[in-house]
Amino acid sequence: MLAFVVRRIVTTIPVMAFVALFVFSLLYVAPGDPAAIIAGDQASPADVERIRASLGLDRPYLVRFAEWSFRVLQGDLGTSIFTNLPVTQLIAQRIEPTLSLMILTLIFAVVVAVPMGVVAAWKAGSWVDKAAMGFAVLGFSVPVFVVGYLLAYLFALRLDWLPVQGYTPFSQGFWPWLRNLILPAVTLGLVYIALIARITRATMLEVLQQDYVRTAQAKGVTQKDVLFLHSLKNAAVPIVTIIGIGIALLIGGAVVTESVFAIPGLGRLTVDAILRRDYPVIQGVVLMFSLVYVLVNLLIDLTYTLVDPRIRY
Amino acid sequence: MDRRTFLKSATGAGMVAATGGLAMPALAQSSSKTLRFVPQANLANFDPIWGTQYVVRNAAALVWDTLYGVDSKFQPQRQMVEAEEMSSDGLTWTFKLRSGLKFHDGTPVTSKDVVASLVRWSARDPMGLMIRAIQVSLEPVDELTWKWVLKEPYPKMLLALAKNNSPCTFIMPERIAKTDPFTQITEYVGSGPMKFLRSDWVPGAKAVFEKFADYKPRSEKADWLSGGKNILVDRIEWVIMPDPATAAAALQNGEVDWWETPLADLVPVLKGHKDINVDIGDPLGNIGAFRMNHLHPPFNNLKVRQAVLTALNQEDYMRAVVGDDDKLWKPLPGFFTPGTPLYTEEGGDILKKRNVAEAKKLLAESGYKGEPVICVVAQDMAATKSMGDVTAELLKSIGMKVDFVATDWGTVGARRAQKTPPDQGGWSMFHTWHAGADCVNPASYTAIRANGDKAWFGWPNVPAVETEVTNWFKAKDLAEEKAVMGRLNKAAVENVVFAPTGFYLSYQAWRKNVTGVVSGPLPFFWDVKKA
Repeated sequence: MLAFVVRRIVTTIPVMAFVALFVFSLLYVAPGDPAAIIAGDQASPADVERIRASLGLDRPYLVRFAEWSFRVLQGDLGTSIFTNLPVTQLIAQRIEPTLSLMILTLIFAVVVAVPMGVVAAWKAGSWVDKAAMGFAVLGFSVPVFVVGYLLAYLFALRLDWLPVQGYTPFSQGFWPWLRNLILPAVTLGLVYIALIARITRATMLEVLQQDYVRTAQAKGVTQKDVLFLHSLKNAAVPIVTIIGIGIALLIGGAVVTESVFAIPGLGRLTVDAILRRDYPVIQGVVLMFSLVYVLVNLLIDLTYTLVDPRIRY
Repeated sequence: MDRRTFLKSATGAGMVAATGGLAMPALAQSSSKTLRFVPQANLANFDPIWGTQYVVRNAAALVWDTLYGVDSKFQPQRQMVEAEEMSSDGLTWTFKLRSGLKFHDGTPVTSKDVVASLVRWSARDPMGLMIRAIQVSLEPVDELTWKWVLKEPYPKMLLALAKNNSPCTFIMPERIAKTDPFTQITEYVGSGPMKFLRSDWVPGAKAVFEKFADYKPRSEKADWLSGGKNILVDRIEWVIMPDPATAAAALQNGEVDWWETPLADLVPVLKGHKDINVDIGDPLGNIGAFRMNHLHPPFNNLKVRQAVLTALNQEDYMRAVVGDDDKLWKPLPGFFTPGTPLYTEEGGDILKKRNVAEAKKLLAESGYKGEPVICVVAQDMAATKSMGDVTAELLKSIGMKVDFVATDWGTVGARRAQKTPPDQGGWSMFHTWHAGADCVNPASYTAIRANGDKAWFGWPNVPAVETEVTNWFKAKDLAEEKAVMGRLNKAAVENVVFAPTGFYLSYQAWRKNVTGVVSGPLPFFWDVKKA
């Protein structure tokens, strides 16, 4: 197991190097000029050129890449072209809201979606199944921003229970922190619920046909235990996989959710950086997301051994 | 479906509108000492000389004071300056600072700080560059006095020091002002009425300003950038909200107090809310524009440009930009800001009435060979997207071939700088707008310049326009300025320096417990009180 973990961590190095090279190259060839944005609409072309030079954007690609790589290896992701703040500081400022949103969304989605999928499989073909899957399809089909607006309208503007926007750090108290995140987490969670519930239902349907389930039922095991102890554990591998894959979806979905609820998270940081062509920030954030994704995949692989003892590394 | 479509739909509008008449206790009312403001854009950097975006200037006006400030009549008034004197030959200007002015770090403001700040400013500002070109010396005389010696008179000196166009003459401590004008400053110390709390700054999310206790406001009544800048709250928080529907909801809920630029689609909802005031934000508005590339076919041909201008109907553009609210737009038969002292429509008849038949005739006479027009349109800005859609139809209506390039503003910003032919990575036209405050006169109106290679993107080369710009800078009185402006407008229309698509305004909205909000070219926080 330890050897496997070490091997996997070592293999992330070339992956990260490739991601770094790919992102850097992509930004190099992508259209857009941060100097033009900085200079403003009234600036002369000469001013824009001067700013490009001051930012080092007029230097050759290889020189810039070599310098950036060298800094990254030392743990320095560079400085934002626009804010003049270290990229690590910008990421540190934004990581808590995004992590909070992702964790809450994940908890909410798993708690709702897994039982929903199990029950839908158990009652396959019934109105309960159809309603659950209809809800799942709806959750997947309605754009995140529409759900967000509707929830904000109902719970913030009409009922006045929750705030419309913003984020309160965890350090300022659990309830203020949670209150700001309930609507965004539910909004983002609906997409995720749809995904997990459908996979859970499909894998459970397969498992429920197995002989050992029939044997358990014949032995008089309660339906609840049959479903949640005997069957669900055997259906867990694809569910765990989809939860892991969903984290990538969460990152994407968080961009819209953070905009709708004005949460100062990494999603908004990334979008702002892309629109402004703030290269160091884009590179830093993408690199960080890649690392998170690689580590999540590793974590999922390790989780397999917990839910299925036959899997050994 | 995009968000704007959703907002305009019955569901979206209903969602927000349904709350219009409801009185609800606000969940997150901020204290009366903290004003929460939603600015037009993210404050992504904070150097008003290095980056000249309006949002940076607006925040900078809180933190840094200026030597002079324009009032609502566009007249320069003393601000940090106590007195000035111009020699009889117009070549030597002597200025004296008000005594007792302090920076936020407690150090006194001296003439050394002013000189260093003016040196940095004049390297980046069009009027500053003009002064530099005729400068003999700029030096401190004593602690509070400095002298500016020129080779030839510069009648617009006080306007240059007072104007609200970016970059303004924001005064910084000498150690900061000595930063290269093309490199960003890293310390935000000014002598303005508010301190910038750098530790609370989360770019893209919030910026916080705290009242500066040692600020010495002037005794005159505040009028735009002139007079006493009395701050009546302890703290101003800029809350960045990328989503207009969220900003509207937050304003209704009392989570924010003042929204600088509400989306036109949401204004009816805000107007219907009993706790919200809505009024015109910037009375100087914006001038919509599309610029044609004068270097390459088809728009290097004057007749083609005139054909396009002849077929242009400004109402189509303005309705696409601001919707059906007629208070928000005006036809603009020229290039300058309506309602300002030098406004002129001379030579602008071609813009008053659309004439497609005449446009087609002009196009035929031009020898247009069907070259595709590379029309580069930023889709991430509502105004440019709307104008781009109208232009595409306009060009097709007179028989031009359009290659519509839908992209984002970042790409437009880079591509428009290319002088290569349109089919080799260049462009034929792009859309933008100019703040009306910049189009009051030629002083800061980069877009009106027609000095070829040195001109703004599109590089028009029209000596007649340039002659009149020079004449305006030399004009001695208002009558002379007006005469020059008439000729300038006429020359710019005749040669189609660019195509003005109309003049439009936008609203601002604020809660009724906030008083003292005025219309102006930027949000003025002085005299704004929150109950």
